Amino acid sequence: MEIIVCVKHVPETAEAEIAIDSSGKGIKTEDLVFDINEWDDYAVEEAVLIKEKLGGRVTIVTVGSEDADKTLRKCLAKGADRAIRLTDKAFDGSDAYATAKILYGVIKDLPFDLILTGTQAGDDGYAQVGVILAGFLGIPHATMVKKIELMEGFTRVNRELEGGLEQVMEVGTPALLAVQTGINEPRYVSIMGIRKARQKELKVLGLNDLGLKEEEVGESGSWITVEEMFIPPVEKEAEILVGGLDAISSKIVETLRARGLI
Amino acid sequence: MTELFVLAEHRRGELRDVTFEMLTKGRELIARADVDLTAVLLGHNVKELAIRLADQVKKVLVVDDARLKDFNEVAYQKVLTHLISERKPVLILIGHTSFGIDLAPSLATKLNVPLATDCIDINFEEKKPIVVRQVYGGKVNIKASLRTSESYIVTLRPATIEAKEVKPIGGEIIEVASPLKEEPTTKRFIEYFEPPAGEVDITAADVLVSVGRGIKDADSMPIVEKLAEALGGAVACSRPIVDKGWLSADRQVGTSGKTVKPKLYLAVGISGAFQHVSGMKNSELVIAINRDAKAPIFRAADFGVVEDLFKVVPILTDRVLQEKKSSK
Amino acid sequence: MAMEELAAIKKLDFNMCMQCGKCTGSCPVSPKSKLNPRRFMLETAYLISPLTMHPPLNIQEKGELWDCTTCSTCSYRCPREVKPMDVLIGLRSLLVEAGNVPSTLGDALEGVYKYGNPWGLSRSKRQEWTQDLKVKYASEEEKIDLLYFVGCAASYDSRAQVVARAIVKNLNALSIDFSILGNKETCCGNEIISLGEKGLFEEIAGNNLALFDRYGVQKIVTTSPHCFHAFKSRYGRELAVKHYTQYFADLIDEEKIRFSGKIGKVVTYQDPCFLGKHNDIYDEPRKIIESIPGLRFEELGRSGKRSVCCEGGGGRMWYDIPGERLAEDRVREALDVGAEIIVVACPFCLLTFDDAIKTSGNEERIQVKDIMELVAETL
Ligand SMILES: Cc1cc2nc3c(=O)[nH]c(=O)nc-3n(C[C@H](O)[C@H](O)[C@H](O)COP(=O)(O)OP(=O)(O)OC[C@H]3O[C@@H](n4cnc5c(N)ncnc54)[C@H](O)[C@@H]3O)c2cc1C
Repeated sequence: MEIIVCVKHVPETAEAEIAIDSSGKGIKTEDLVFDINEWDDYAVEEAVLIKEKLGGRVTIVTVGSEDADKTLRKCLAKGADRAIRLTDKAFDGSDAYATAKILYGVIKDLPFDLILTGTQAGDDGYAQVGVILAGFLGIPHATMVKKIELMEGFTRVNRELEGGLEQVMEVGTPALLAVQTGINEPRYVSIMGIRKARQKELKVLGLNDLGLKEEEVGESGSWITVEEMFIPPVEKEAEILVGGLDAISSKIVETLRARGLI
Repeated sequence: MTELFVLAEHRRGELRDVTFEMLTKGRELIARADVDLTAVLLGHNVKELAIRLADQVKKVLVVDDARLKDFNEVAYQKVLTHLISERKPVLILIGHTSFGIDLAPSLATKLNVPLATDCIDINFEEKKPIVVRQVYGGKVNIKASLRTSESYIVTLRPATIEAKEVKPIGGEIIEVASPLKEEPTTKRFIEYFEPPAGEVDITAADVLVSVGRGIKDADSMPIVEKLAEALGGAVACSRPIVDKGWLSADRQVGTSGKTVKPKLYLAVGISGAFQHVSGMKNSELVIAINRDAKAPIFRAADFGVVEDLFKVVPILTDRVLQEKKSSK
Repeated sequence: MAMEELAAIKKLDFNMCMQCGKCTGSCPVSPKSKLNPRRFMLETAYLISPLTMHPPLNIQEKGELWDCTTCSTCSYRCPREVKPMDVLIGLRSLLVEAGNVPSTLGDALEGVYKYGNPWGLSRSKRQEWTQDLKVKYASEEEKIDLLYFVGCAASYDSRAQVVARAIVKNLNALSIDFSILGNKETCCGNEIISLGEKGLFEEIAGNNLALFDRYGVQKIVTTSPHCFHAFKSRYGRELAVKHYTQYFADLIDEEKIRFSGKIGKVVTYQDPCFLGKHNDIYDEPRKIIESIPGLRFEELGRSGKRSVCCEGGGGRMWYDIPGERLAEDRVREALDVGAEIIVVACPFCLLTFDDAIKTSGNEERIQVKDIMELVAETL
């Protein structure tokens, strides 16, 4: 099995304070911690699980700056075999469409039976790259995948639908599957493991290596241009209860009683 | 006259809410332009759905084909590519749903039409769509423009626009012959699968205590269970709790779980990602406990407690029990 | 078994074990867990002996390795000075390297790696506990003579923050000049090495030493016995570190502390494993407690060298096992000796006892307080 997994190195923002940068089109990232995109972590785990069962090779591909090597090394430590980082000044400002083109630039020449991606990235949340990439490659895809069964010539997947329902589909292989969180339980990787993974191959390629033209990528090669980034206006703000745990609890109980909920 | 397409989404014989939300947005957009609003319905034996749509929109394009009975991106993409190439709509609205996520990028790539996904708003400025999207888990919004083109595709996030129905207008239903030639072979719909239901139906509960990743540990679950019990309610959760296997999938609130409207929704250690919020925002009373004062859940709550849940929940539970005892 | 695993096992020291079973007999968690140190000593030895056992030990199936609290009672009681605890930690390393870690412990390790604390909380919130207090933060301009190393629990947990605040108040009241690292402070790594994550520990230790050098730190005093132990015995460099009980006991000896208040209560004391069993520090905390006016001090039934772990160490702050927590039993012991306050000297004890008092329904009868809180109340 030749499996390719596309991953992204993203800032973690769940608990962080977010501020807009001076360009007004991005956020300040100096104080943020970056890690593998949550959805991609599941994709890598799934690839490694398949490899552990069927044998083969897992190749990780990312578009990103040198900092993204951290995420690549983590993937290698999890059990991937080699990694490729695509980087170039010209890639700056790429949206999902341009990013998919960059990935296509390298993947078109690689052997694969299966490509896995996350359904979306936690930063920009486009949920497009995988499907567009599949379109370029001319292979079928499925998104929101919660279960993968590999058969001869096809794969049977469960796609997550709204309301807790799933849709079972059969997709011809080679295929691109964009996985949903919860499909497996990503393993812990030790720092020693990450250090050892330094011995594994990590290749860095740029615009010219991919045979792409500058105008095909970056902002000029994108469908979407960010005009402005802003902290959303507060529509409704909760009344924050204060005064210590006892006072807060009393206030809640009072409110519930007034509404006949107790 | 040029058209604005709204792709009707339906499942198991029923139109999904997002369809009417998109029609509402579509109506708003054409009010300021010389554009027709057209619903596009792909399916099999969907007469009733077409009639229902024609109540709300002047034109309904219907493609009836057995291969369109259940959603299959390959079949949908082929039919839509055909319709769009023929009729050149200026904008195609699709729901940012599981179906939309599978379909829209593939359609856009096929047609080489710019796509903006997961938008919470859209407007036209100088004939170009300007969209608003949420990024970084809802902490930041972006305003973005799309590359100039004849047509555009935009997917709208469900449950962000309030669907408004108009008085039935008895629109026209236009049947279009299916352009599908053969059975799609690269992708086949097999069946729907309903994960086994647990004992509790959270959609029926008046009081829900909903727990999120803030609980950190499966062994801490009893503290929320006790509060739910004290309040005579049920325990629900955000998605990570299901992912970790601490509660069964039927307890999950949100876009990939259940939509709930209890009298009281108590969110404990939930950040308030939109996928979660859209499943609970119509609750009558929302109280959120989260130690991050900036957590988006406070924007969906009536009352907030900025505290460590491990401190608040046990005290609150005691207080509720006391109250019940004294009022007996 | 992989060669690497074998090599790692060969480095562990269990040759002197004579299978007397004192380790398992004295292990406080073995009654409620499958954890059996004696058996691990035997089965591990077989892995590298020419003889084989059927079936051979498969470490990757031994989830009970995570149950150990690293209290070190086993090592302490061993008549032949074998250290079963170190073997258990060594075996944990094999699980860690295989990625075979319970998810909550994995999260704690990731939290330390990414955010410098096992709760994965934002670094920018680390010094929020100081609020209106007078503290000096480390700066390039001035060398730090005395560093107060706060630790993760006392930085982030709202109950344990009270202790950090008490320490600052006490130091200020005694006009002692000190600094803290503020948001630059990072986990000491004691629990990390206890969990067997050697690589991460090395990284943290290296970074912390570099930080101490950068600010010219001369002396360190810690809130937690866990941080104290890491700095004292696990960093591979001699550091002038004291646990606060040692620091304040010295001040009492030097007659620098004058109490003005009084605590008219019966109190007892829980020996933290990382002060007592690991470091033989039994007298200093008692000296401070007994010098506080007004209180009556009663020893617990099992105290000093015989003290029982609260179950907060060895990663168990992030990993629970079924059954009653040891701290609950200790609460009953404290009630038996008539105590109204359980005095502790470790943030983990503070948190486990705080919880145990609630779960055992004894909130009306007994409280848990840190020594520094009592001192702050009476200075
Ligand atoms: C297609 C798709 C569908 C999805 N569907 C759903 C869905 O149906 N339902 C759903 O819930 N999610 C869904 N998600 C996931 C969603 O995006 C979020 O990742 C998820 O809702 C986050 O869950 P959470 O709030 O529990 O966790 P987090 O975002 O990690 O938030 C945890 C919160 O707990 C707080 N906290 C931590 N410790 C404490 C403490 N001691 N005391 C108080 N507060 C504390 C933190 O401040 C934080 O705000 C979906 C995602 C996708 C892509």
